[in-house]
Amino acid sequence: MSKFLLFILFLFAANQAFSQKKFTISGTIKDEATGEQLIGASVIIKELPKNGTATNSYGFYSLTTQEGDYTLSVTYIGYETLIKQVSLHQNQTINLGLSPKSELKEVVISANKPNNDNVASPQMGEEKLNMSQINNIPVVLGEKDILKTIALLPGVKAAGEGNTGFYVRGGTSDQNLILLDEATVYNASHLFGFFSTFNSDAVKDVTLYKGGMPAAYGGRLSSVLDIKMNEGNNQDYTVQGGLGLISSRIKVEGPIVKDKGSFMISARRTYLDLFFKASSDSTLRGSSIYFYDINAKANYHFDDNNVLYISGYFGKDVLLLKNTFGTNWGNATGTIRFNHIFNNRLFSNTSLVFSNYNYAIQDFESTDFFKATSQITDVNFKEDLQYSMGNNHNLKFGLNILHHTIAPGNITTNATSSFNPVSIEQRFGFENAAYISDDWRVSDKITFLYGLRLSGMFLLGPGTFSTYDAAGDVLTLATYSSGATVKDYFNLEPRFSSSYQLNDQSSIKASYNRNTQNIHLLSNSTSSTPTDLYVMSSNNIKPEIADQVSTGYFRNFNENTIEFSAEVYYKWLQNQIDYKNGAQLLINQDVESQLVYGIGRAYGIELFLKKKYGRFNGWIGYTLSRTEDKFAAINNGNYFPATQDRTHDLSIVGIYQLSKRWTLSSTFIYATGNAVTYPTGKYQIGGLTTFSYSARNSYRLPAANRLDIGATLEGKEHKKYHSSWTFGVYNLYGHWDPYIITFRNSKTVPNTTEAVQTSIFPTPIPSVTWNFKF
Amino acid sequence: MKSFKYYIFCTVLGLATSCTKVVDLKLNNNAGILVIEGNITNIRGPQYIKLHQNVSFSNTNTYPPVTGATVSVSDDKGNNYDFTEGPAGTYSITAMAGTPGYTYSMKVITNGKIYTANSVMPAQVILDSLTSKASEFSSGKNQRDIVVHYQDPPGVANQYRFVMYINSVQVNGTFAYNDDFIDGRYVNLEVLENDIKIYPGDTAIVEMQCIDKPVYTYWYTLMQQQQNGPGGGVTPSNPPTNITPVALGYFSAHTTQTTTITVK
Repeated sequence: MSKFLLFILFLFAANQAFSQKKFTISGTIKDEATGEQLIGASVIIKELPKNGTATNSYGFYSLTTQEGDYTLSVTYIGYETLIKQVSLHQNQTINLGLSPKSELKEVVISANKPNNDNVASPQMGEEKLNMSQINNIPVVLGEKDILKTIALLPGVKAAGEGNTGFYVRGGTSDQNLILLDEATVYNASHLFGFFSTFNSDAVKDVTLYKGGMPAAYGGRLSSVLDIKMNEGNNQDYTVQGGLGLISSRIKVEGPIVKDKGSFMISARRTYLDLFFKASSDSTLRGSSIYFYDINAKANYHFDDNNVLYISGYFGKDVLLLKNTFGTNWGNATGTIRFNHIFNNRLFSNTSLVFSNYNYAIQDFESTDFFKATSQITDVNFKEDLQYSMGNNHNLKFGLNILHHTIAPGNITTNATSSFNPVSIEQRFGFENAAYISDDWRVSDKITFLYGLRLSGMFLLGPGTFSTYDAAGDVLTLATYSSGATVKDYFNLEPRFSSSYQLNDQSSIKASYNRNTQNIHLLSNSTSSTPTDLYVMSSNNIKPEIADQVSTGYFRNFNENTIEFSAEVYYKWLQNQIDYKNGAQLLINQDVESQLVYGIGRAYGIELFLKKKYGRFNGWIGYTLSRTEDKFAAINNGNYFPATQDRTHDLSIVGIYQLSKRWTLSSTFIYATGNAVTYPTGKYQIGGLTTFSYSARNSYRLPAANRLDIGATLEGKEHKKYHSSWTFGVYNLYGHWDPYIITFRNSKTVPNTTEAVQTSIFPTPIPSVTWNFKF
Repeated sequence: MKSFKYYIFCTVLGLATSCTKVVDLKLNNNAGILVIEGNITNIRGPQYIKLHQNVSFSNTNTYPPVTGATVSVSDDKGNNYDFTEGPAGTYSITAMAGTPGYTYSMKVITNGKIYTANSVMPAQVILDSLTSKASEFSSGKNQRDIVVHYQDPPGVANQYRFVMYINSVQVNGTFAYNDDFIDGRYVNLEVLENDIKIYPGDTAIVEMQCIDKPVYTYWYTLMQQQQNGPGGGVTPSNPPTNITPVALGYFSAHTTQTTTITVK
């Protein structure tokens, strides 16, 4: 560590010594029409084509170079390229606004000169999603969805039909860090996973890191999904929305003070329950099933160097059976951020983040009355700094202090209930981290992105903490006072990526990174339920650790309009968690006694061919992979396929602009079925047919394949408003994608057994949505 | 005592159950494994230990009995009971009653191997009554659920297993509960199942067993693996048996009490 810091200091010194004649241009790049800052816009000096940069998450850029007269070129997909002459004889601030190429069709851009960022950057395993592509991709019931769209990328696999969970490079779904404006979203699904919590109206930018994770991120093993909300239009008031088959949404945005501040509020709600209310069945009338969510954000620019952002998310799912039972669950997040530009080389962002996930289950019947609640609450302080050293070094460093409060379960009852009140002790802990990374352009051909993250996990009292023997019985029991450290873990996480550019059109890259995870989701259910239970690393649970190496070949064709990449990865996983037979996880003080630990490995190759520009665009992604786990008590201690192991995974996405008003789109997926355990025999026990099993996960569900189509019709142009229709058919040829296969006594042939497949959407599902904006 | 996940899973299942079809799968066979099912109850009468072999999935549900075994049970008070075979694969002793608090040991010698298991017969908890009530998940169709009522003894760990018959047909489902959430309470427990639809006029029989912890774990694991079980369908495996060396099945010393009602 100290050597590393010394090295950085040396770089600083070298920079100071040789930079006398260098000056810095910095500023913010925005959408001229709305004032939205553009993330990842590329800023290039035409005379020094290798000397370019990209705007950060807040639209800020900083470029340091020799004094001289230059042509600055700013490009961003979907926007007119902006050219500006710069006479660089002193440090300068240049804020620029780009105008959208076409108000309607962001993707259909041909005039832009596409850049070769994907080839030149050392970053690996990064996928950026274009919101307009998400809007065009057909999905079930017409509810466009970020999580379902990222599952179409290579290396990312959908957890299954009717499930927004996703697996990245063999990781489980709790090994993904999902951030909404820097706040952790613990449960990203609505309605048992049929929809994600992200209303795409409110989303500005989506970036997924599946490997080569930058040092600024940590805390999860497989991926980071970084979602940024829209800032809101600081020029004009606009209202937009949509009416769909199952839900409606509306967004209002506008300036608070023109050019200085803006707000955005976006909301959506399903209305299946409104049909219940109209029902003649009294039970149905008193019942309900719905979800809603609200995204809100506001910002204020005090001056060019100081910006304040406040954003929040609130979502809730409610399910109610009249006089019988009800459940609700939801996330709430809040983020306050302050951007400060110290000088044209040093940018800082300070964040205070709140995040909560909770669920409640209630039985209203007097003899069964209970209310069970559970929640996890985070408060997170983050300081991120970015220093453009010149000399081809860009430093990022910062720290993170994250406090968790977990209330695993609380049951309240009444006198007539069958149940006792129970309160499981709350758990408290800190997950702290400090990081530094450097993006170093060594030469025209070689670039390094390297860094180090130090993570520290502290499990704190008050509380009673037990250790357990192999049988799960309490071995020792110790009581800790408030704030006392029960257990701490420190981990150094090196992150390293490099690229070697073979020529303008192609490069090879390699990366190694270590990630650790100190918060673990416990669930032994094969279905998606809201009763998520999180535990921290403890005296029983060690931090999960993943080491990943990957290497790739990147090649652009046709003036960078077509991108191809092939990446190979291998991942070693330690301290993975599984469950004992008959494990009781919910509302169990001794839940950690129900766990067993093992290791895992995942490897694969991902091929990606993408056409980003033109009337016809889209991509083909293919992954060949293997994911295996090893637990002493399972499969005689041999490796076995993990549930999320997926040998083949193919996605094809095509979007075609037929005419000025019509856009057609289609997706096709093919995926090997999940690894599952089927019976290898049967016997009779307790008077009932019972199945016997051999090796774990030695069978496969049948492969899933599906074709979806969509079409968007833009309304005729009006000065005051704009409208469009989105049509879609999900599962066009009605394929029975397997959700689950179960075994039972045959209903038709007596004295025999049969296998039964359940599918969720085995027939074509049409959808229509009307969208408006004024 | 309904499981939380049960509610949720029923809802999901409600969305999905209409889309099922029977499929033909090629399954490997691992047949011919010894299955031992041994029960000692507190009711004086014949006690049975049954031995058979499992068969492959595609076979009919008829299981070859394991004959010619030597089967005996002893207790921790020095009593020994030899079981005799008849019919094939069924080993029994007439007029024996287990005593709560005693530890029973089973010994089965077959095919040159000795299988043993221990089980403690817990103190009996009395099944107070059975009632029926309108079914929560299919109201309007006059369907009923059966509710079991009993007083759970405070301060001790209790485990229960229920077996239910509707019009003399056994309900296909495993019902095993402990008193983690109900210790010392007067319990009203719905026997939730979706195998047989129950209507007024039907005859419902419920057997209540008080079982020891290892036997509870055995049944609870089976119950979790049911699609609408409390695990929402966990990855299935053979439940942990109390028999060594490992065989399929269990040995359970338990109290038993059976109550019958006509559903209203």
